[in-house]
Amino acid sequence: MRPVSNCNIVEILDLSDKQLLSLSKRNVLSLSLMEMKVVQSYFKKLKRNPTDVEIETIAQTWSEHCKHKTLTGVIEYTQINKGIKIKKVYNNLLKETIFKATVELNKKWCLSVFKDNAGVIEFDSKNGVAFKVETHNHPCALEPYGGSATGVGGVIRDILGVGLGAKPLANTDVFCFGNPNTKVSKVPKGIHHPVRIAKGVVSGVRDYGNKMGIPTVNGAVYFDNGYVANPLVYCGTVGIIPKSKIKKNVIPGDLILVVGGRTGRDGIHGATFSSINLDQNSDVSAVQIGNPIVEKKILDAMLVVRNLNLYRAVTDCGAGGLSSAIGELGEKTGAIVYLDKVPLKYRGLYPWEIWISEAQERMVFAVPPKNRKKIVEIFKKEDVEAVFIGQFTYDKKLVLKYNNDTVTNMDMSFLHDGIPKPIRRAEYEIKEEKLQRTVKMTSSDLLKALKEALKDLNVCSREWIIRQYDHEVLGQTIVKPLQGNNIEVSGPGDAAVIFPYAVVKGTKKGIVLSNGLNPSYGKINTYKMASSAIEEALRNAVCVGGNIEKLAILDNFCWGNPNKPEILGSLVCSANACYDMSKAFEIPFISGKDSLHNEYSIRGKKFSIPPVLLISAVGIIDNAENSITMPFKSKGNKIYILGITRNELGGSVFSKIKNIKNGIVPDVYPKDSSKIMKGIYKAIKKGLIESCHDASEGGLAVAISEMSFASGYGVKINIDAIKTMGNMSVTEILFSESNGRFVVEVEPKNENKFKEIFKGSIFSEVGYVTDNNFVIFESQKEKIKFKEKLVNLLNVWKNTINW
Amino acid sequence: MFAIEVFTKNSFKDSRGKHILAYINLIGVKDVKKVNYCSLYIIEGNLLLNEVKMIASCLLSDKITENYTITKCDIKDSCFNDVYVSKAMIEVLYKKGVTDTVSSSVIKAVKDLGINKEIEVKTGSRYYLNGKLSKAVLDNVACNLLANTLIQEYKIKSIK
Repeated sequence: MRPVSNCNIVEILDLSDKQLLSLSKRNVLSLSLMEMKVVQSYFKKLKRNPTDVEIETIAQTWSEHCKHKTLTGVIEYTQINKGIKIKKVYNNLLKETIFKATVELNKKWCLSVFKDNAGVIEFDSKNGVAFKVETHNHPCALEPYGGSATGVGGVIRDILGVGLGAKPLANTDVFCFGNPNTKVSKVPKGIHHPVRIAKGVVSGVRDYGNKMGIPTVNGAVYFDNGYVANPLVYCGTVGIIPKSKIKKNVIPGDLILVVGGRTGRDGIHGATFSSINLDQNSDVSAVQIGNPIVEKKILDAMLVVRNLNLYRAVTDCGAGGLSSAIGELGEKTGAIVYLDKVPLKYRGLYPWEIWISEAQERMVFAVPPKNRKKIVEIFKKEDVEAVFIGQFTYDKKLVLKYNNDTVTNMDMSFLHDGIPKPIRRAEYEIKEEKLQRTVKMTSSDLLKALKEALKDLNVCSREWIIRQYDHEVLGQTIVKPLQGNNIEVSGPGDAAVIFPYAVVKGTKKGIVLSNGLNPSYGKINTYKMASSAIEEALRNAVCVGGNIEKLAILDNFCWGNPNKPEILGSLVCSANACYDMSKAFEIPFISGKDSLHNEYSIRGKKFSIPPVLLISAVGIIDNAENSITMPFKSKGNKIYILGITRNELGGSVFSKIKNIKNGIVPDVYPKDSSKIMKGIYKAIKKGLIESCHDASEGGLAVAISEMSFASGYGVKINIDAIKTMGNMSVTEILFSESNGRFVVEVEPKNENKFKEIFKGSIFSEVGYVTDNNFVIFESQKEKIKFKEKLVNLLNVWKNTINW
Repeated sequence: MFAIEVFTKNSFKDSRGKHILAYINLIGVKDVKKVNYCSLYIIEGNLLLNEVKMIASCLLSDKITENYTITKCDIKDSCFNDVYVSKAMIEVLYKKGVTDTVSSSVIKAVKDLGINKEIEVKTGSRYYLNGKLSKAVLDNVACNLLANTLIQEYKIKSIK
């Protein structure tokens, strides 16, 4: 048995620089020398050495995970474009790009941005919609099942912990995995095979989300060998919250109530761990296991307590555990906590372990003393453990007691604002992109290429994953992830629509959820990757009937080691794209998250992941009844393509399949695109569009085929009618991945009204829906004609992922 | 101490076993030909055999599709009862200290059944394998597929 009652004094006052660094490393503090020296001088002023609880508290509060010190630190950025250098210094990258755009756009319907556990936008006059997406990469690499389950559990608690608590409505999950066809012998030692990671992660999401009774309605999966040792797992939750419950207000004297699961040695150092690169000897105690049953009980009980106004603030215990939760709530007041009162799973925990443990399913409340009895009673009735462990104070100090001994006594201001700002260097060279040599193929080769594209890991059906998730529970999912006109068929929906009629009685409104990401563009140009991801998320939302004038987005950066100037540079460049696009489309960012240090070492050699920016969009549809889906609806309808096709094969699925060097990466033209998007919203509202699908991975050929085989209707396309920028070959037209394009189906009787709306935009009629079972593409100009049975294309698309 | 193994009846498809086999083949191990799956509950406490039978039949198994065996033993290592004829068996259990949510549900449910005794439960899996099973193959399957050694421990038992 380990000694229970005491904590250790950590000698730091007399340590040399070298000794400070080795202390940081030995205790997994992840603090830099600069930070250790600030800690040292703080305690020199106090004329004493810190306790281990104090050191751990500082390390946790100053962790990358909690403070985002890279993105809020000073960055000296140099961008090189065609030999010309541009320099700029950022004092706080987030504030000067993403957040700045939101401030400048100043949308009145953004109710809470970048300050709480989630962003909140207006739903109607009484309610708001909260949305948050988190990453849970490192835990998933070590224990895929437990890692992803706790990822889902964590982001649900973010929604429960926004304002005074929102009711979760739906989940969204996005993954990046290594190539599942990787040979076992090629997987580095100590790392799970991609299939094992994928299966574990999917099972974890399934078991947590389904058991919570929250539908998983939207997602994406991207495969690339860069993620073999470091998979990415994004979990998001959207919830609904009364406008009157959006503000927290901690008042000195309020009691601190911890609710839910017990505290064990789970996930010790999870927060500081996320600042460390993965290797074979990664820390064992960083693994957390989730228990959805406990969280479901918290959810149910908590909403009852919320509606009775029994508390003034709440937040979840995420990374950093109680330390982070109470530190945040008590930042402006101060707090005293009796660590011996915290309910434990088992005996033998040190005080510092209790304080920073990341045991799951715990929430912290600020309760006015007069409600102390009532609130505990209600939790007890719902079989949820709730224990008072301390009080918020006046003195702006954090005081921790253990068996009457003071084990921590620090200023909140030092904890929250004492962190020194390092200066980092960042450099990014915009690669020159060259047009590829003209690609021309014969009819039969084109058909082969289409099938290969449909079969490609990043295009093929995700049905095997989606069908494991409950996307129907709560009965409010009106546009679902798989869409089709009969049971056999399951086309890829662009976005999900939730109609929250059970929560908001009498409402007609809907909530649209979508996402966009494309890491393959980022390997060439992270500016274009970021802007393409933003446009893709918007396009997806627009396809089902979303209104881009009532749409907000979240950023989630997963990047490599930011201490390398070229990697940080690529991040700065994409943050700039976020600002530019947010302004140009007038779409505000409302929340975000970053996971840096996604670097792993194999036999001493270090690798960073291909950077990913995930953009998740949430929007309000005035009338959910108007939502549409992507399969064709009936024969004889005309097919239009909105937007222009450019020769943009750089980073495309086609260029990967055909191993084409060069190619221009798709760029974004916000002015043209946003005009088309607004037009589509108008046209859908008027009932002029039957189905709509955006052209993204795989280009027009893939998008049109998907609409066709999802519906069971054939299609005939005249390739020559597709509007292009300059001369393009049939191959390039069909597989280019230009942004800003939509394939839409219009009834002949609506054609005139439809064309009227898009006057001034580039679009053309390119074909019609048939009742035979063939997808037919034709070009007189190049003497091309290829056709294939729907069922064959469907099967090619469907059978890649079937584990 | 009692070990309860719950397994699919012969007349039903052991889908978990088939699934594991497909998974083993998928990662390139072709020597394993057949897998049968049992879920395993090791219960410690002052229980009577009748109570354990009730727990196994009312709580842990599905009467229509599943059967169970109960083995009474003094130490965990001897709690074997070869449910399936096989060449080898791999057992996977959580390491001590790892949160075992199924175990806490079982403990609660046993109380709900009216058995008011303090018990401890460990949950895990047993995989019965057939095929050309060298030690290397079994080790590979156990630690690369069936157990995550970070949170679980496994044991291989070869059966002659």
